[in-house]
Amino acid sequence: MILFAFALAYLAMLALCLAMARHHRAVFNTAPTPRRQRWLRATASGLLLGAALLNTASSGLAIGLVIALTQLMFAGVTVGLTLAWRQRWVVPLGALLGVIGMLSAISGG
Amino acid sequence: MTLRQSMAGLHTWGGLLPSWLLFVIIFAGTLACFDKELERWMRPALHTPAATAMTATDVGNWVQANVQAPLHAYWLHGPTEREPYWRLGWEEDESGTRGRVAFDLRTGRPMPETVGGEFFFTLHYNLQAGTAGMYIVGLAGMFMLVALVSGIIVHRRIFKDFFTLRPQANGQRAWLDAHNLFGVIGLPFHLILAYTGVAVFVASYMPAGAMVAYGGDPLAFYEEVQGGYHRNELNQPPGQFAPLETLLTDARERWDGAEIGWIIVEHPSDASAVVSVRRFDPSRIGSPQDALSYDAFTGELLHQQQAPAGYRAYIWLVGLHMAQFGGHIVRLLYGLLGLAGCAMLIAGTGVWLRKREGRQIRGIEIVRALNGAVFFGMPIASLALLWANRLLPDTLAERGAAEAWCFSLAWLAVAVFAYLSRRQPLGLSRRLSALLAILALGLPLLNGLTTPEGHLLASLARGDLMLAGIDAVLLLVGSLCAWYSLRSPQTKKPAREDTRPAARQQELAP
Repeated sequence: MILFAFALAYLAMLALCLAMARHHRAVFNTAPTPRRQRWLRATASGLLLGAALLNTASSGLAIGLVIALTQLMFAGVTVGLTLAWRQRWVVPLGALLGVIGMLSAISGG
Repeated sequence: MTLRQSMAGLHTWGGLLPSWLLFVIIFAGTLACFDKELERWMRPALHTPAATAMTATDVGNWVQANVQAPLHAYWLHGPTEREPYWRLGWEEDESGTRGRVAFDLRTGRPMPETVGGEFFFTLHYNLQAGTAGMYIVGLAGMFMLVALVSGIIVHRRIFKDFFTLRPQANGQRAWLDAHNLFGVIGLPFHLILAYTGVAVFVASYMPAGAMVAYGGDPLAFYEEVQGGYHRNELNQPPGQFAPLETLLTDARERWDGAEIGWIIVEHPSDASAVVSVRRFDPSRIGSPQDALSYDAFTGELLHQQQAPAGYRAYIWLVGLHMAQFGGHIVRLLYGLLGLAGCAMLIAGTGVWLRKREGRQIRGIEIVRALNGAVFFGMPIASLALLWANRLLPDTLAERGAAEAWCFSLAWLAVAVFAYLSRRQPLGLSRRLSALLAILALGLPLLNGLTTPEGHLLASLARGDLMLAGIDAVLLLVGSLCAWYSLRSPQTKKPAREDTRPAARQQELAP
């Protein structure tokens, strides 16, 4: 469950990052349309909410929120560092984390 | 002068001057997230699980038999999941000398002395320098808060540059990006930990109000604030002790079978002796404050602590800082964000240096020497401590002190080396990285040679991930340092060759 929540936090940070023109251009070679920006930001809020809900469901409200917040910060640092040195990996890494997270959530991890 | 300009000077100097001290504090705090795991690593007798017949009474008997001086108090803690052994500490009445012992559950005898993971915890909150160190750390924490808040004010593009890190850019730009990335994304963590860290000893940092209200008696203040209990000494000989086990059974019944934490016996050689039992509950952010105090002889319950709401709020803040809740995941995340804090400090001094490299001012060499002495010295000294733990013979007298000496001397050696090589910063960092790599990669090997049950293969085979994790992290850190020291040197343009217009340069100012 924690891994899945981390995957959501990473994807949320990634979506927020790609909603910014500079990073969208770096990854996809074009600036995002305003519509795409709105869509990315809305997705990010949904993912953030999902991560917070998963954590509070598995660790209780107080500790769950502490985990959600620290996880989010670490996810942000991970996105930033990946973008700086391994730009091409930033999206595939999100997909990989999502799959691993989902598998671990299904198997009850 | 605008607010931002005035804050820029404050951020530059208020950040630079305490940054080496803060690095020591934050790095030690990061290691202290795993203090109990390190403690187990440092005590080979604990590497494999053991069942125990040892009881609180046995530990109490040991202290009565082995410590001759009259005791002010002694305290003991039973085995837990993270600390699978009996712990004992005591304070002598007249000299105030403190001792501590950890018992091997198999033999019931004290294990070879070691400073253990607690060394880093103590280093984190008082630099191993007692009350004076505690005040220095508090001051550094307040400086950190000042630097964080002024940093928010001077940062022009806090959201625009949120994820921006351009390692290929010119020196100052790259370091500023890194400083911002680690500082801004980790900001909630840095702010909360700096604030709660200062709050832990707030009563010592700002004692005036309590001293006036309680007539200069800090003990009366603490007792009332905590809802605690204290019985004054009667100066009469003690009676026959009630067995500790019956008190613990009673406490467990009152708490519906909860686990027992610290057991504290106050002035055991006096007729007023009191046994206090604390609850152990790592499932909450603030640990429960409902200790039970018993008469040590009759076993009568004298007092049940009812902490006032203010104290519970304080304990919640302390708990948020100490990260003893929520299991390994919380400590892992705290540790990773602590490293982000260290990276923020390193990058911050990097910005300061790159900005001034063109001008040959004297401060540059001092900053370089301090960078080498602290940013490399502290990790190298920590590894030297772990090496000493494995290499010093078990029978050595004052073994813990010898370990601490190895830590200090290794650090001193690195500091001297850094001072001598301050004119060749690149060579300095490569050589010290190489040393770090040798120490970090060698330690798992040494571990394999000296501990039959503690090395990576044995711990992985047992599924003991916490013990294996320490060796795995050492291998990872060692490989990274080896890669850094062996890769071909990069030629980077020095900052003074920057030909961009002055307006852009201005924007780089932190």
